[in-house]
Amino acid sequence: MKNNIRIERAIKNITQAELAELIGVSRQTINTIESNRYVPSTVLALKIAKVFDKPVEEIFMLSEED
Amino acid sequence: MKSRFLFPHWCRYVGYVLVIAHIPVMLLRKMIGFDTSGSPINNSLLSPHHLFFMTTTLLMAIGLFLAAFSKEKVEDEQILQLRLDSLQWAIYVNYVLLIVSLIFSTDTQHILFLNLLVPLVFFIIRFQWKIFQNNRLLRKDENPS
Repeated sequence: MKNNIRIERAIKNITQAELAELIGVSRQTINTIESNRYVPSTVLALKIAKVFDKPVEEIFMLSEED
Repeated sequence: MKSRFLFPHWCRYVGYVLVIAHIPVMLLRKMIGFDTSGSPINNSLLSPHHLFFMTTTLLMAIGLFLAAFSKEKVEDEQILQLRLDSLQWAIYVNYVLLIVSLIFSTDTQHILFLNLLVPLVFFIIRFQWKIFQNNRLLRKDENPS
């Protein structure tokens, strides 16, 4: 699964730490999601989408391997 | 995300202290030759030998248990998954070792002891190693130099 959290963060101008605090996870978790090493649960994906005020599909999308 | 059945974070340090405290006591036991199992006098239940063995082994087992199953500073779903992954690894490694030692050894007492140690020790090392790796990657990401 791919995501464009990094881009959305840049648009909204917030750091990994700030995003982590907003949704109640560690900075490490945001970092691993951004670098595609961890696939978040649906709950977490929805929370991230809510922060950016966009539907989940615009932030997370399937990749060829999925 | 709720993490159930975990000790508070400070229990980890209590655990480490117990494990470290157990080492000199165990070495002392070996040195004074208190560790002579097998002789019938020493093997009765609640004999001094048994009591000493029980307390030192319990010290270590409880220490490892606390160190392994205490909460991280931030408990989230990724930590939960790392913990689960590491547990699976630990059980695999333990069973491979158990099977190998059952085939190549008849020393059941040491096999039992190994079985007590390996899952928790391997779990702690693997889990902490993964957390360390994540922290390192985060630092690298924050100051790319």
